[in-house]
Amino acid sequence: MSENRRRLTDPVTSDSQVRVRSLRGLSRIAYAWLDERTGIRSMVRKGLYEAVPRRGAWAYTLGSATLLLIVNQLITGIFLTMIYVPSTTEGWESLNWIRGHDEFASIVRGMHLWGAYVLLFVLGLHMVRTFFSGSYKRPRETNWLSGVVLFVLVLGLSITGAMLPWDQAAYWTAVVVTNIPSYTPIIGIYLRTLWRGGEFAGPITLLRTYGIHIWILPALLFAFIGIHLYLLRKHAEFGSYVNYRGFFRTLHPRPVIPPAEQPALSEPVPPGQRELEPPYPGVPTDDEWAAPLETDDFYPDQTFKDAVVSLICIAIVFAFGIGIGAPLEAAATQNTTTYTPVPEWFYLPLDQLLVLAPKQLISLALWVPLFGLLLLVILPFVDRGRERNPFERPAVMIVGGLIVLFMLVLTALGSGRLFNL
Amino acid sequence: MVDLAIQLPPHSPEFGGLLGQRIAIGSSFEAHILIAGLVSGASQLGPITEWVGYMRRRPEYDRLAHGIARFLVYYFSIGAAIAILVITALLTGLWGSVWAIINRVGFWPFFIEAWTFFLMVVGSYLWYYTWDLLRDYKGLHMAFGGLLAVASFVQVMMIDVIASYMLTPSQPNNPLRVFLNPTEYPLQIHRTVANLAYMGFAVAAFAGFRYLRSKDAAKRAFFDWAGSYGMIWGIGMTLMQPIVGYSYAKEIQLHAYGAWYKMMQGTLSSEFLGQIFLLGLMFLAGSYYFWRRLHASNAPNQGLLGLLTVLLAVTTVFATLPAHLAFTYNQVLASGKDRPFWEGGWVNPFAAMIPYKVGALIAYSVFAIAGLYWYLRGQREVVWGTARAVEQWVLIASVFMVAAMIVLMGFIRENSRYPDVIAGQVQLSHQQVLSQQLISPVTGLSGTLPPPP
Repeated sequence: MSENRRRLTDPVTSDSQVRVRSLRGLSRIAYAWLDERTGIRSMVRKGLYEAVPRRGAWAYTLGSATLLLIVNQLITGIFLTMIYVPSTTEGWESLNWIRGHDEFASIVRGMHLWGAYVLLFVLGLHMVRTFFSGSYKRPRETNWLSGVVLFVLVLGLSITGAMLPWDQAAYWTAVVVTNIPSYTPIIGIYLRTLWRGGEFAGPITLLRTYGIHIWILPALLFAFIGIHLYLLRKHAEFGSYVNYRGFFRTLHPRPVIPPAEQPALSEPVPPGQRELEPPYPGVPTDDEWAAPLETDDFYPDQTFKDAVVSLICIAIVFAFGIGIGAPLEAAATQNTTTYTPVPEWFYLPLDQLLVLAPKQLISLALWVPLFGLLLLVILPFVDRGRERNPFERPAVMIVGGLIVLFMLVLTALGSGRLFNL
Repeated sequence: MVDLAIQLPPHSPEFGGLLGQRIAIGSSFEAHILIAGLVSGASQLGPITEWVGYMRRRPEYDRLAHGIARFLVYYFSIGAAIAILVITALLTGLWGSVWAIINRVGFWPFFIEAWTFFLMVVGSYLWYYTWDLLRDYKGLHMAFGGLLAVASFVQVMMIDVIASYMLTPSQPNNPLRVFLNPTEYPLQIHRTVANLAYMGFAVAAFAGFRYLRSKDAAKRAFFDWAGSYGMIWGIGMTLMQPIVGYSYAKEIQLHAYGAWYKMMQGTLSSEFLGQIFLLGLMFLAGSYYFWRRLHASNAPNQGLLGLLTVLLAVTTVFATLPAHLAFTYNQVLASGKDRPFWEGGWVNPFAAMIPYKVGALIAYSVFAIAGLYWYLRGQREVVWGTARAVEQWVLIASVFMVAAMIVLMGFIRENSRYPDVIAGQVQLSHQQVLSQQLISPVTGLSGTLPPPP
């Protein structure tokens, strides 16, 4: 007798049990009704019951954490639209008012700001992890590209969000950022005018930035999240290189010194390969890297880990949102000679580059991030070798590592300004 | 307090006057920094090499890291001995008053520095002497290496606090401000990167030397590979220097303009031009080595590296062009020749810092990173042990170039604030110009230091 049938035919002993079982029966009927019309059962099965690589699973919880942080931004953002007025005269006033009068809104605003910071950090780690594990290689090139688009969109959301409070920091951010498109050859001035709605940053600039922040960029963001998740499901999680047969091959490389001269090292024995199961391999590819040797189920194994990391992230956002909150400087004014604009921390590398660049080379310095973006886009098409182990991909890893180091160095050099040193 | 009746020497040692003292202290410090830089670089490169070898399961990394550990154990004591000579005999004996002031201002950095020495001694000896003992506990062994690397990083940081404070001083009574003076972290990044590069070039040079002397095929294969590995580290770290060094110079310009002017347009500008030349020469050596090493194994990307070598040679020549034909720019102004050379003047506009020299520095980094990338891609086809002598001589020469650069940089930086020891606060003539009274971190007593005898 099946478990369900046994439950239905068991003698009941109390009224409460009768009510519970009736509710269960009802929900089961409702679920069957919905499934018949929508196919929800197969969707849930497809969504939850899937194989994921077993080893290094904590490292690839960052994607889920990123998604949850984006949802946090969405929810807190919706709350903020109910109180924020996108106007140069009332925008700052509305935020200043909640500081003293609406504790809940203050916490929500704090969570929105710190959510953005943690999101950028986690997203950065997610990209570094993907780069490190070579997860962008065939057939996952489009996963990587959609991820790069998402990264750019999140950066765009962050910087447009930074302009909205229309305090001193926001105003000068608007002045600097809306001026950046003017360095585009030929059409630069027109782009700046289009964004600013005139020659100078003012009310129309704020309104347009608000529109970009709450409509255009989120619409694109959620469209690309959909694409990203679809591609993830199609090709499955690659995870870490240590899950694959190819990794064990690289442990027996061509020796630099003849084997007779080498000291003995304990060499791991490759475990037997687990039978391929959906969705591995999504498309025919190099069989050494097609399917992980050992897998877990996405639900509940991986979802548990995802939930732990995501909750930690949200807890951090909550703690900083309450503990520190979102600062608000004095209302924006052009008539100041003492105010020193400080960039958001995630733009410190670019800011430091602009600080260092002589006047004649500023337009050149502005091409550097675009060049960096181009490198991210072409990465899967340049690094096409079959090797996934980062220690066996020195050309890409060393150059990529140097670029990351370069950005960290610029951040460190520029960090003094954050603390007014 | 009871005054003891002791017979003091009639006068303190003269050492040939101020110039003699400066030469003695300067040359001792240069010798110290040449060894200390290597020790610091080895303390970080060695553990990294061991870790990479562990992750790749390749025994040659382990062997190289072990060699670096042995070097460290030998040379740590030599570097420390010179430091003791400089501090106890020369600084305390010859410039006691100035040294006391520096100690008072930098009490906490020196205090922490002393403990990092202790940690480095413990870390380096544990790391070296437990190599075979902990062969089956590699994680623990690598943790000792990690301790060593961190201790070395902090040690360099502490001495950088002092060195940077002397050029861009802040409030001497506020230890936090002393720590976070404007050029502290640019200098820290600059030196950390430089020390790693220096050790990389040293490994390359030593490997090149041993390769030339080895007859055994296995040894030749190992030293050929080690030379390439060292060169990759050397060039990889050095290509960060144009931007890091430029940032450092920018902070000096903002916070010690006099020193910056002296370096860029004053009496030290020709030495600084020498630095740019040496930097170009190092990139050129690296690119040439990469090109010839691929060529020797008939590996791919040789043509691209050959082209980069030519481009780097042209860039080096362009970057080294003097901006004017006089020793300093003031002399150009004084002679009324502040015109381009084609108008009969002494000025070469094509060698202006902005945009030409800055452009050349960017070109150095771009060409070097492209060379590194193509070399690493082609390296898979390299058969180790087949290199020719010319590549090894390039490896050997590269470490001398780096050493020359370190010595020259030390000379420029320390002389840029002369006659001040602490820029704007203390001069070598023992004239204390601190406006605030110093507070001793130990006793809490305040007061000015006694005048020199």
